[in-house]
Amino acid sequence: MKHKFPRLLTLLVILMLFLAACGGGQGGEEPTAPPQEEPTQAPAEEETGGGEEAAAPEFDGVIRLGAAVSETGKYAREGKDTRQGYNLWLDWVNNEYGGIRVGDKRYKVEIVYYDDEGDPDTAANLVEKLITEDEVDFLLGPYSSGLTIATSAIAEKYGVIMVEGNGASESIFERGFQNIFGVLTPAGNYTQSALKALADKGAKTVVVAYEDTAFPTSVAEGAIKWAEEYGMEVLAVETYPKDVADVSAIMTKFRDLNPDVFVGGGHFNDALLFVSAAQELGFTPKAMVITVGPSNPQFVEEVGDAANYIIGPTQWEASMTWQGKYLGTPAEYAARYEAMWNEPPTYQAAESTATALALQAAIENAGTLEMDAVREALRNLDLMTFYGPIRFDETGKNVAKPMGAIQIQDGEILVVAPEEAAVADLLYPMPAWEDR
Amino acid sequence: MDQFLQALINGVMLGGFYAVMVLGFSVIWGVMGVINLAHGELVMLGAYITWVLNKQFGWEPFAALVVVMPVMFVLGYILQRVLINRVVERPHLISLLVTFGLGIMLSNSVKLIYTADPRQTKTALSGFWRVGQITFPVTKTYILLAALIIMLLLYLFLQYTRTGKSIRAAAQNREAARIVGIEIHQVYAITFAICTALTGAAGMLISPTQAIFPFMGPPLTLKAFAITAMSGLGSIPGALMGGIVLGLVEVFIATYIPGIGTNLGIVSSFVLLVVVLVTRPQGLFGGLQPATEVR
Repeated sequence: MKHKFPRLLTLLVILMLFLAACGGGQGGEEPTAPPQEEPTQAPAEEETGGGEEAAAPEFDGVIRLGAAVSETGKYAREGKDTRQGYNLWLDWVNNEYGGIRVGDKRYKVEIVYYDDEGDPDTAANLVEKLITEDEVDFLLGPYSSGLTIATSAIAEKYGVIMVEGNGASESIFERGFQNIFGVLTPAGNYTQSALKALADKGAKTVVVAYEDTAFPTSVAEGAIKWAEEYGMEVLAVETYPKDVADVSAIMTKFRDLNPDVFVGGGHFNDALLFVSAAQELGFTPKAMVITVGPSNPQFVEEVGDAANYIIGPTQWEASMTWQGKYLGTPAEYAARYEAMWNEPPTYQAAESTATALALQAAIENAGTLEMDAVREALRNLDLMTFYGPIRFDETGKNVAKPMGAIQIQDGEILVVAPEEAAVADLLYPMPAWEDR
Repeated sequence: MDQFLQALINGVMLGGFYAVMVLGFSVIWGVMGVINLAHGELVMLGAYITWVLNKQFGWEPFAALVVVMPVMFVLGYILQRVLINRVVERPHLISLLVTFGLGIMLSNSVKLIYTADPRQTKTALSGFWRVGQITFPVTKTYILLAALIIMLLLYLFLQYTRTGKSIRAAAQNREAARIVGIEIHQVYAITFAICTALTGAAGMLISPTQAIFPFMGPPLTLKAFAITAMSGLGSIPGALMGGIVLGLVEVFIATYIPGIGTNLGIVSSFVLLVVVLVTRPQGLFGGLQPATEVR
């Protein structure tokens, strides 16, 4: 009898392991999401159908767009935001705007979606299918830099235009591709607005610390470039590994240099580490710019009062003051979005809607659906949207939209730069920890 | 000179935390020959208990020790009675698998309850004391003090109490301990319970200084493994010295090598491990004997 117990137990443990593994999977996959999502999507299309019936004679044709966006996998959540952003535009352009205007004709829009499961190979295959089997006219981008890199290569191969709003990595635009256009601010410009505002306030010296992975490296290289551009001196640059647990040595070195501005970060966790290390070492630069974290309300919740005066970049906030040509101000967009999806828009949703707007504007400017003419129109595009200005350089990056900068003031996340979008004054210098 | 002293302080503070973090792992390994791969998850659990008390009930994290340690003690006792005792005398692979699975279960359970968002506890004992150009971080000073007190208490317990003596006896020779009437599984359960309590305390100590999240465990387990292998199994002075040596090496390299210092510091701790294993395989300080395989 006694010998059976260990065996039983081993079985039990194996069972538990399986359960644990399943539990782990669930969080990432959220497989229950797609069936629920289908119906929410369907009414939107039915409405479109309904609109077509009512305004059937108005449409002279159909423009088919294709998008492989994560419905399952690790980007399930962001993929949902991306689809909702696209679908908001789809609903608006067909039912309210009356279809895309090409010359004096009106075109109805359809979007063909596939689930890329967050996997680059799947995404690439699906985009190939969209081009060759579904014969879509143009492509909208997936969610994430990695998937954008994979899928844009296929788009390039077939010479089909892909406009995207969810891949910020510079490497997307460094391959000499002719068919990729990104509406969001690339990683290298993340700190530009903040550094410019700080330089205007009289900041002279900068120190930079970053995690040595792809995205933070791009951000940091950009920060160094912009700091020098705005006449500030970079006193020191430090890197640290992913999962770092202690940054006190970095902060000690920085404290001895006594810089005006600290720029740092990579992950949410690092933001917490930097703030507590600065606090416990008595390191008070005149401003702290932290790449990832500050624009997330959870940062204020976890850090508490110490979060005040900290500055961070943001792609888009509903409180910004852009005057868009099509969907109004960010606040109006947010209200529309909330009415449609019962949740406030994330910036992922906003940039997805802006992606579709950019493509629409280019088609209308070109006055034809011909690929080369639309590509040329995208190159020459100069559009103001609720998401910010959009103007592409020769690589396809949006060079017009400044990254916003937020500062936490009394526990509130307020946009302080650039001036056109600011709702509050940048507080500078930040008071020493002991004087608060 | 100021920079040197500051680095020294930072290093000792980091080392003090490493030492208390590694103790539970080291003693379990030393006494029953089980490499507890769920160690980091137990640290995480202690940190989350602290966070809940801090967030929901506004407790001072340090005061949370009075809850964390008993809760973790009971949890450890149950774990050993129900799970580990059944595999402790079987081949190492079994206990490795069991603790590995346990770690996955713990981290995923915490994720389901509290999501994967990073958290941090807030302590009133924050800020710094300034002496000339050098600062003493308040929180970390208390952490070091707490770590030293915990280590002293454990030392006294192992050295002078009857249970402590039977734990050492079990570590030195399982068979002989049985022969003289020590109930070995009970001793193991108490040992695991104490070690889990210590590990939970380490979780409390980590919670005000860095982000806590469900998957923070594995790097801590790895570090505990390195320090234990370096300092000797179940040795308290060994854990203290090993932790501090590692803390100092990491901080000094990070301080004096510009640019990539922090990266190099972490690499160096594992280089140190290899060097110690080659030159002094019994660890820097010897320590309790590992339990020999009984067939």
